[in-house]
Amino acid sequence: MTKATETARFLGIILLTYFIFLFNIIPLPQIIQEEILPVFPWWVLVSFGAYSLGNIGYHVYRFRDCEDAYHELMAEIQIAKDDLKTKGVTID
Amino acid sequence: MSYSSSYSSVQVATDCVENKYSVILPTYNERNNLPIIVWLLAETFKENELDWEIIIVDDASPDGTQDIANQLVNIYGQNYIILKPRAGKLGLGTAYVHGLQFVTGNFVIIMDADFSHHPKFIPEFIRLQRSQNFDIVTGTRYAGNGGVYGWDLKRKIISRGANFLASTLLRPNVSDLTGSFRLYKKEVLERIISLVISKGYVFQMEMMVRARQFGYTIGEVPITFVDRVYGESKMGANEIVQYAKGVWKLFITV
Repeated sequence: MTKATETARFLGIILLTYFIFLFNIIPLPQIIQEEILPVFPWWVLVSFGAYSLGNIGYHVYRFRDCEDAYHELMAEIQIAKDDLKTKGVTID
Repeated sequence: MSYSSSYSSVQVATDCVENKYSVILPTYNERNNLPIIVWLLAETFKENELDWEIIIVDDASPDGTQDIANQLVNIYGQNYIILKPRAGKLGLGTAYVHGLQFVTGNFVIIMDADFSHHPKFIPEFIRLQRSQNFDIVTGTRYAGNGGVYGWDLKRKIISRGANFLASTLLRPNVSDLTGSFRLYKKEVLERIISLVISKGYVFQMEMMVRARQFGYTIGEVPITFVDRVYGESKMGANEIVQYAKGVWKLFITV
Protein backbone atom coordinates (compact mmCIF):
# COMPACT_ATOMS: atom_id res chain seq x y z
CA MET A 1 0.00 0.00 0.00
CA THR A 2 1.47 3.35 -0.99
CA LYS A 3 1.47 6.33 1.33
CA ALA A 4 -1.12 7.92 -0.97
CA THR A 5 -3.61 5.06 -0.57
CA GLU A 6 -2.92 4.96 3.16
CA THR A 7 -3.71 8.67 3.38
CA ALA A 8 -6.77 8.39 1.11
CA ARG A 9 -8.19 5.58 3.23
CA PHE A 10 -7.71 7.54 6.43
CA LEU A 11 -9.36 10.65 4.95
CA GLY A 12 -12.17 8.49 3.51
CA ILE A 13 -13.02 7.06 6.91
CA ILE A 14 -12.99 10.52 8.49
CA LEU A 15 -15.22 11.97 5.75
CA LEU A 16 -17.66 9.08 5.93
CA THR A 17 -17.96 9.46 9.70
CA TYR A 18 -18.47 13.18 9.26
CA PHE A 19 -21.28 12.78 6.70
CA ILE A 20 -23.03 10.17 8.85
CA PHE A 21 -23.35 12.76 11.58
CA LEU A 22 -23.88 15.76 9.30
CA PHE A 23 -26.86 14.18 7.54
CA ASN A 24 -28.31 13.05 10.84
CA ILE A 25 -28.11 9.31 10.06
CA ILE A 26 -26.97 8.90 13.65
CA PRO A 27 -28.69 11.68 15.61
CA LEU A 28 -26.63 14.00 17.76
CA PRO A 29 -27.81 16.74 20.17
CA GLN A 30 -29.27 19.68 18.26
CA ILE A 31 -26.60 22.15 19.32
CA ILE A 32 -23.80 19.98 17.88
CA GLN A 33 -25.85 19.24 14.79
CA GLU A 34 -26.62 22.85 13.93
CA GLU A 35 -23.83 24.91 15.43
CA ILE A 36 -20.69 22.76 15.31
CA LEU A 37 -20.83 20.26 12.47
CA PRO A 38 -21.27 22.74 9.58
CA VAL A 39 -18.14 24.69 10.53
CA PHE A 40 -16.08 21.71 11.70
CA PRO A 41 -14.16 21.19 8.40
CA TRP A 42 -13.07 24.84 8.41
CA TRP A 43 -11.88 24.48 11.95
CA VAL A 44 -9.82 21.44 10.97
CA LEU A 45 -8.36 23.25 7.96
CA VAL A 46 -7.40 26.36 9.94
CA SER A 47 -5.98 24.22 12.75
CA PHE A 48 -3.84 22.23 10.36
CA GLY A 49 -2.57 25.42 8.72
CA ALA A 50 -1.74 26.92 12.10
CA TYR A 51 0.00 23.72 13.15
CA SER A 52 2.07 23.65 9.95
CA LEU A 53 3.17 27.26 10.27
CA GLY A 54 3.85 26.80 13.96
CA ASN A 55 5.89 23.67 13.33
CA ILE A 56 8.01 25.26 10.60
CA GLY A 57 8.39 28.51 12.53
CA TYR A 58 9.45 26.74 15.70
CA HIS A 59 12.02 24.65 13.89
CA VAL A 60 13.43 27.63 11.97
CA TYR A 61 13.72 29.48 15.28
CA ARG A 62 15.44 26.50 16.90
CA PHE A 63 17.73 25.91 13.88
CA ARG A 64 21.20 26.04 15.37
CA ASP A 65 23.96 28.09 13.72
CA CYS A 66 27.13 26.15 14.30
CA GLU A 67 29.69 28.94 13.97
CA ASP A 68 32.06 26.97 16.20
CA ALA A 69 32.05 24.00 13.81
CA TYR A 70 33.11 26.32 10.97
CA HIS A 71 36.09 27.74 12.84
CA GLU A 72 37.12 24.30 14.06
CA LEU A 73 37.00 23.00 10.49
CA MET A 74 39.06 25.90 9.14
CA ALA A 75 41.77 25.23 11.70
CA GLU A 76 41.80 21.53 10.86
CA ILE A 77 42.00 22.21 7.13
CA GLN A 78 45.14 24.26 7.77
CA ILE A 79 46.71 21.47 9.81
CA ALA A 80 45.81 18.97 7.09
CA LYS A 81 47.31 21.17 4.35
CA ASP A 82 50.56 21.59 6.24
CA ASP A 83 50.85 17.88 6.92
CA LEU A 84 49.96 16.89 3.36
CA LYS A 85 52.58 19.29 1.94
CA THR A 86 55.29 17.60 4.00
CA LYS A 87 54.14 14.27 2.55
CA GLY A 88 54.47 15.59 -0.99
CA VAL A 89 50.84 16.14 -2.00
CA THR A 90 50.22 19.04 -4.38
CA ILE A 91 48.24 21.69 -2.48
CA ASP A 92 47.25 24.78 -4.48
CA MET B 1 49.79 14.79 15.98
CA SER B 2 48.26 18.07 17.00
CA TYR B 3 45.07 17.30 15.13
CA SER B 4 44.36 14.43 17.51
CA SER B 5 44.09 16.74 20.46
CA SER B 6 42.04 19.38 18.67
CA TYR B 7 38.82 17.62 19.55
CA SER B 8 37.94 14.94 22.04
CA SER B 9 36.85 11.98 20.01
CA VAL B 10 34.50 9.26 21.08
CA GLN B 11 36.53 6.14 21.48
CA VAL B 12 34.72 3.28 19.83
CA ALA B 13 35.22 0.17 21.91
CA THR B 14 37.04 -2.41 19.83
CA ASP B 15 35.19 -5.68 19.88
CA CYS B 16 36.03 -9.12 18.57
CA VAL B 17 33.95 -8.74 15.41
CA GLU B 18 36.11 -7.60 12.52
CA ASN B 19 34.22 -4.72 10.98
CA LYS B 20 35.52 -2.76 8.05
CA TYR B 21 34.19 0.65 7.04
CA SER B 22 34.25 1.68 3.39
CA VAL B 23 33.71 5.32 2.51
CA ILE B 24 32.43 6.02 -0.99
CA LEU B 25 33.45 9.52 -2.08
CA PRO B 26 31.95 10.68 -5.37
CA THR B 27 34.04 13.54 -6.76
CA TYR B 28 33.86 16.04 -9.58
CA ASN B 29 36.45 18.81 -9.63
CA GLU B 30 37.44 18.27 -6.01
CA ARG B 31 41.17 18.67 -6.55
CA ASN B 32 41.54 21.04 -3.61
CA ASN B 33 39.13 19.32 -1.24
CA LEU B 34 39.96 15.68 -1.82
CA PRO B 35 43.35 15.43 -0.07
CA ILE B 36 42.03 17.25 2.97
CA ILE B 37 38.86 15.21 3.38
CA VAL B 38 40.90 12.02 2.92
CA TRP B 39 43.36 13.24 5.53
CA LEU B 40 40.56 13.99 8.01
CA LEU B 41 39.00 10.58 7.37
CA ALA B 42 42.30 8.75 7.75
CA GLU B 43 43.05 10.54 11.03
CA THR B 44 39.61 9.70 12.39
CA PHE B 45 39.83 6.03 11.48
CA LYS B 46 43.38 5.61 12.78
CA GLU B 47 42.61 7.39 16.02
CA ASN B 48 39.62 5.14 16.66
CA GLU B 49 41.44 2.00 15.57
CA LEU B 50 38.93 1.16 12.88
CA ASP B 51 39.57 -0.79 9.70
CA TRP B 52 38.83 1.42 6.72
CA GLU B 53 39.09 2.17 3.03
CA ILE B 54 38.07 5.08 0.83
CA ILE B 55 36.69 4.47 -2.64
CA ILE B 56 36.99 7.57 -4.79
CA VAL B 57 34.56 7.60 -7.69
CA ASP B 58 35.72 10.43 -9.92
CA ASP B 59 33.59 11.43 -12.89
CA ALA B 60 36.45 12.38 -15.23
CA SER B 61 37.11 15.74 -13.51
CA PRO B 62 38.98 18.06 -15.87
CA ASP B 63 40.83 19.74 -12.97
CA GLY B 64 43.14 16.80 -12.25
CA THR B 65 41.34 15.35 -9.26
CA GLN B 66 42.58 11.92 -10.28
CA ASP B 67 46.24 13.01 -10.22
CA ILE B 68 45.76 14.10 -6.63
CA ALA B 69 43.93 10.86 -5.86
CA ASN B 70 46.91 8.89 -7.18
CA GLN B 71 49.23 10.89 -4.94
CA LEU B 72 47.02 9.89 -2.02
CA VAL B 73 47.17 6.24 -3.09
CA ASN B 74 50.96 6.50 -2.90
CA ILE B 75 50.89 8.00 0.58
CA TYR B 76 48.21 5.90 2.26
CA GLY B 77 48.57 2.72 0.22
CA GLN B 78 46.31 1.02 -2.27
CA ASN B 79 44.58 -1.00 0.44
CA TYR B 80 43.19 2.21 1.88
CA ILE B 81 42.66 4.53 -1.06
CA ILE B 82 40.99 3.00 -4.09
CA LEU B 83 40.45 5.16 -7.17
CA LYS B 84 37.67 3.95 -9.45
CA PRO B 85 37.03 6.66 -12.06
CA ARG B 86 34.19 6.80 -14.53
CA ALA B 87 34.11 8.13 -18.07
CA GLY B 88 31.93 11.18 -17.45
CA LYS B 89 29.56 13.04 -15.16
CA LEU B 90 26.96 10.35 -14.56
CA GLY B 91 25.24 11.43 -11.37
CA LEU B 92 25.32 10.69 -7.68
CA GLY B 93 23.13 7.58 -7.43
CA THR B 94 25.07 5.66 -10.05
CA ALA B 95 28.34 6.78 -8.44
CA TYR B 96 27.35 4.86 -5.30
CA VAL B 97 26.32 1.83 -7.36
CA HIS B 98 29.67 1.98 -9.16
CA GLY B 99 31.64 2.37 -5.92
CA LEU B 100 29.73 -0.44 -4.22
CA GLN B 101 31.19 -3.01 -6.63
CA PHE B 102 34.63 -2.41 -5.15
CA VAL B 103 33.68 -2.25 -1.47
CA THR B 104 35.45 -4.83 0.69
CA GLY B 105 34.04 -3.64 4.02
CA ASN B 106 30.81 -4.79 5.64
CA PHE B 107 29.71 -1.21 6.31
CA VAL B 108 29.51 1.63 3.81
CA ILE B 109 29.64 5.34 4.64
CA ILE B 110 28.41 7.87 2.12
CA MET B 111 29.23 11.54 2.49
CA ASP B 112 30.04 14.66 0.51
CA ALA B 113 33.66 15.50 -0.23
CA ASP B 114 33.18 19.26 0.14
CA PHE B 115 33.60 19.48 3.97
CA SER B 116 29.91 19.92 4.67
CA HIS B 117 30.18 16.57 6.43
CA HIS B 118 32.90 16.20 9.03
CA PRO B 119 34.47 12.75 9.55
CA LYS B 120 34.56 13.35 13.32
CA PHE B 121 30.94 12.17 13.48
CA ILE B 122 31.74 8.75 12.01
CA PRO B 123 32.77 7.20 15.36
CA GLU B 124 29.42 8.36 16.77
CA PHE B 125 27.60 6.77 13.84
CA ILE B 126 29.47 3.52 14.48
CA ARG B 127 28.86 3.59 18.21
CA LEU B 128 25.13 4.09 17.71
CA GLN B 129 25.01 1.41 15.02
CA ARG B 130 26.68 -1.10 17.34
CA SER B 131 24.56 -0.27 20.34
CA GLN B 132 21.30 -1.31 18.66
CA ASN B 133 22.48 -3.08 15.51
CA PHE B 134 20.88 -0.45 13.27
CA ASP B 135 20.73 -1.19 9.54
CA ILE B 136 21.28 2.49 8.77
CA VAL B 137 22.55 5.45 10.77
CA THR B 138 21.88 8.88 9.31
CA GLY B 139 23.28 12.25 10.27
CA THR B 140 20.66 14.85 11.11
CA ARG B 141 20.99 18.62 10.97
CA TYR B 142 17.56 19.05 12.48
CA ALA B 143 17.67 17.28 15.84
CA GLY B 144 19.57 17.47 19.11
CA ASN B 145 22.84 19.33 18.82
CA GLY B 146 22.77 19.32 15.03
CA GLY B 147 22.97 22.51 13.04
CA VAL B 148 24.13 24.33 9.96
CA TYR B 149 26.70 27.00 9.23
CA GLY B 150 26.26 29.40 6.33
CA TRP B 151 22.49 29.48 5.81
CA ASP B 152 20.45 32.67 5.89
CA LEU B 153 16.86 32.88 7.14
CA LYS B 154 15.36 32.25 3.70
CA ARG B 155 17.42 29.10 3.20
CA LYS B 156 16.40 27.86 6.65
CA ILE B 157 12.70 28.45 5.97
CA ILE B 158 12.86 26.66 2.62
CA SER B 159 14.73 23.76 4.16
CA ARG B 160 12.37 23.40 7.11
CA GLY B 161 9.30 23.81 4.93
CA ALA B 162 10.56 21.21 2.47
CA ASN B 163 11.32 18.78 5.27
CA PHE B 164 7.89 19.36 6.86
CA LEU B 165 6.12 18.70 3.54
CA ALA B 166 8.00 15.45 2.96
CA SER B 167 7.67 14.28 6.58
CA THR B 168 3.90 14.87 6.54
CA LEU B 169 3.31 13.08 3.26
CA LEU B 170 5.83 10.25 3.51
CA ARG B 171 6.02 9.75 7.30
CA PRO B 172 9.38 7.94 7.33
CA ASN B 173 10.12 8.91 10.94
CA VAL B 174 13.52 10.36 10.08
CA SER B 175 14.17 13.98 11.05
CA ASP B 176 16.56 14.84 8.20
CA LEU B 177 15.25 13.29 5.00
CA THR B 178 17.58 14.95 2.53
CA GLY B 179 20.75 14.44 4.55
CA SER B 180 23.52 12.65 2.70
CA PHE B 181 25.89 11.65 5.50
CA ARG B 182 24.98 8.07 6.29
CA LEU B 183 26.26 4.70 7.42
CA TYR B 184 24.74 1.58 5.87
CA LYS B 185 25.20 -2.12 6.28
CA LYS B 186 26.61 -3.05 2.89
CA GLU B 187 23.84 -5.48 1.90
CA VAL B 188 21.17 -2.98 2.99
CA LEU B 189 22.63 -0.25 0.79
CA GLU B 190 22.90 -2.65 -2.16
CA ARG B 191 19.28 -3.69 -1.86
CA ILE B 192 17.85 -0.20 -1.45
CA ILE B 193 19.95 1.54 -4.07
CA SER B 194 18.98 -0.94 -6.77
CA LEU B 195 15.37 0.33 -6.49
CA VAL B 196 15.94 4.04 -6.15
CA ILE B 197 15.17 6.10 -9.24
CA SER B 198 15.05 9.70 -7.97
CA LYS B 199 17.79 12.23 -8.52
CA GLY B 200 19.09 15.26 -6.65
CA TYR B 201 17.63 16.12 -3.25
CA VAL B 202 14.92 13.50 -3.65
CA PHE B 203 17.48 10.69 -4.06
CA GLN B 204 18.49 10.71 -0.39
CA MET B 205 14.85 10.95 0.65
CA GLU B 206 13.84 7.97 -1.46
CA MET B 207 16.62 5.94 0.18
CA MET B 208 14.98 6.54 3.58
CA VAL B 209 11.46 5.87 2.32
CA ARG B 210 12.55 2.60 0.67
CA ALA B 211 14.44 1.60 3.81
CA ARG B 212 11.25 2.00 5.84
CA GLN B 213 9.31 0.08 3.19
CA PHE B 214 11.55 -2.94 3.85
CA GLY B 215 11.38 -2.45 7.61
CA TYR B 216 15.05 -1.56 8.07
CA THR B 217 15.95 0.17 11.32
CA ILE B 218 17.36 3.71 11.15
CA GLY B 219 19.28 5.52 13.88
CA GLU B 220 20.07 9.23 13.92
CA VAL B 221 23.14 11.17 15.01
CA PRO B 222 23.02 14.99 15.21
CA ILE B 223 25.66 16.54 12.93
CA THR B 224 26.89 20.01 12.15
CA PHE B 225 26.71 20.90 8.48
CA VAL B 226 29.17 23.52 7.29
CA ASP B 227 27.87 24.76 3.96
CA ARG B 228 29.59 26.79 1.28
CA VAL B 229 33.17 26.56 2.48
CA TYR B 230 34.09 26.68 -1.19
CA GLY B 231 31.49 27.51 -3.80
CA GLU B 232 27.79 28.19 -3.60
CA SER B 233 25.12 25.55 -3.02
CA LYS B 234 22.23 26.23 -5.32
CA MET B 235 18.64 26.38 -4.12
CA GLY B 236 16.39 28.27 -6.51
CA ALA B 237 12.81 28.04 -7.71
CA ASN B 238 13.71 25.22 -10.07
CA GLU B 239 15.15 23.07 -7.26
CA ILE B 240 12.03 23.64 -5.17
CA VAL B 241 9.72 22.57 -8.01
CA GLN B 242 11.82 19.47 -8.71
CA TYR B 243 11.76 18.65 -5.01
CA ALA B 244 7.98 18.99 -4.72
CA LYS B 245 7.49 16.82 -7.80
CA GLY B 246 9.82 14.21 -6.34
CA VAL B 247 8.00 14.14 -3.00
CA TRP B 248 4.66 13.74 -4.79
CA LYS B 249 5.99 10.92 -6.93
CA LEU B 250 7.20 9.04 -3.87
CA PHE B 251 3.86 9.71 -2.15
CA ILE B 252 1.89 8.01 -4.92
CA THR B 253 4.33 5.19 -5.69
CA VAL B 254 6.00 3.98 -2.47
